[in-house]
Amino acid sequence: MLFSLTTQELMERPDLWEAVHRLRYKIFVEEMGWSDLARPDRLEIDQFDHDEAEHHLVIRNGELAGYQRMLPTTRPHLLSDVLTDLYEGTPPSGPKVWELTRYAVAPGHRDGKRGVSTVGTELIAGFVEWGLKRGVNQVIIEFEPMWVLRALQLHFLARPLGYQRTYGNQQVVATLLTFNEHTLEVVRERRNHFAPVLNRGYPVQFGLKQAS
Amino acid sequence: MGVDAAMSQFDRTLEFMDQLQHAGTAAAVCERLLSVTSNFGLTALMAGTVPRPGTPRGQQKDHVLLCDWPGDWLERYVQRNYVDHDPVVSHMKNLQAPFQWREASKMITIDRDSDEVMGDAREFKLRDGLAFPLVTLDGEIVMVSLGGEAVHLSEAEFSMVSLVSTYAIGRAMQLHTMAGKTIDHIELAPRERECLQWAAVGKSEWEISQILGISEHTSEKHLLNAKSKLGAVNRVQAVAEAIRRGYIS
Repeated sequence: MLFSLTTQELMERPDLWEAVHRLRYKIFVEEMGWSDLARPDRLEIDQFDHDEAEHHLVIRNGELAGYQRMLPTTRPHLLSDVLTDLYEGTPPSGPKVWELTRYAVAPGHRDGKRGVSTVGTELIAGFVEWGLKRGVNQVIIEFEPMWVLRALQLHFLARPLGYQRTYGNQQVVATLLTFNEHTLEVVRERRNHFAPVLNRGYPVQFGLKQAS
Repeated sequence: MGVDAAMSQFDRTLEFMDQLQHAGTAAAVCERLLSVTSNFGLTALMAGTVPRPGTPRGQQKDHVLLCDWPGDWLERYVQRNYVDHDPVVSHMKNLQAPFQWREASKMITIDRDSDEVMGDAREFKLRDGLAFPLVTLDGEIVMVSLGGEAVHLSEAEFSMVSLVSTYAIGRAMQLHTMAGKTIDHIELAPRERECLQWAAVGKSEWEISQILGISEHTSEKHLLNAKSKLGAVNRVQAVAEAIRRGYIS
């Protein structure tokens, strides 16, 4: 189950808001070591959590299992303002291009030994569904070069936006992924799950597990 | 000036990736990739999933995705079961990042068998190269190895080559799944099946034409059609594939 919430909507649900920023801290500061983002309250928040950002939350058994943040490229975003050495020339932007950031799967939900977990592929199915619904067909992602292979396996059209760079002990390459209905079909086939994953409204209150 | 040079190299990379997207066969993907890497002395390529130790030799070649390796070298590699002793393969299983062959031989204690693999590789003009593992959606490891006689790569070129290779492997995997789909729908015409059946017992085109009462040209045509439907490169493979799929016995 994946929910897409604007920053405003997320803030209206303090339980979700806290779970999101805590998971981000756990993964990006503690696990990946992005120490610039360290804070004493152990919540990871940056300047791009603005009112046009969209937060995708995957919920499993009343818990936040996966997360990604979508940023419009019509205003400053990570590639244009922070990761400027990752592109050559002029990076793509416009209403049909969004940037996918903070892709994260909570530690308890990484079932695929080396492969991509079901929560991980739900996030992928989620942004494709979300994009096709609102006329977005391109996403910029800064990821490890390894992901290029997986994107191609899912029949995304991939194109690097610049050279790969090394940040700390991580290789990163900015990539533009283009998708359509066919991509969604392939993603669903790979997941062996054909129903839409994107839900309307809010997940139930955290801590109040449903009886079933 | 410096910026222009950098831009044009990046543009060339993009142009290459565009060509890859249009490559229709694994052989075309191989050729395009080597046309880029040969600028750095990397003239031979092998990519595939790693067979589990002890995989029967007959099945090792099924793991290959892209291959432009000296033919005799591949034969010897499979024949002598080198995959279980290749230091490059062992090194790759433990690492995530790209590395050069010479690092692999340095870092592990070379046993007699590993030494033999690397020595033999040099005999085939594979003195050095680079290799890296990739992980698929399902967590399978794809090993990519590029080699040649005189390899010269700066660090930036090294990562460019590995990225470009990743796109090539991705394209090969797309073609692989697409082929898997179409191949399941092959329909052999009754005559094509009959011709294959006779070819399987060693009859020549002329003999087949006499047996079936058709012209030699027609029997040749049926065999060619069957070969292409089965995605085989020669008649032996067509017969083997037809038997494997149960079209003939």
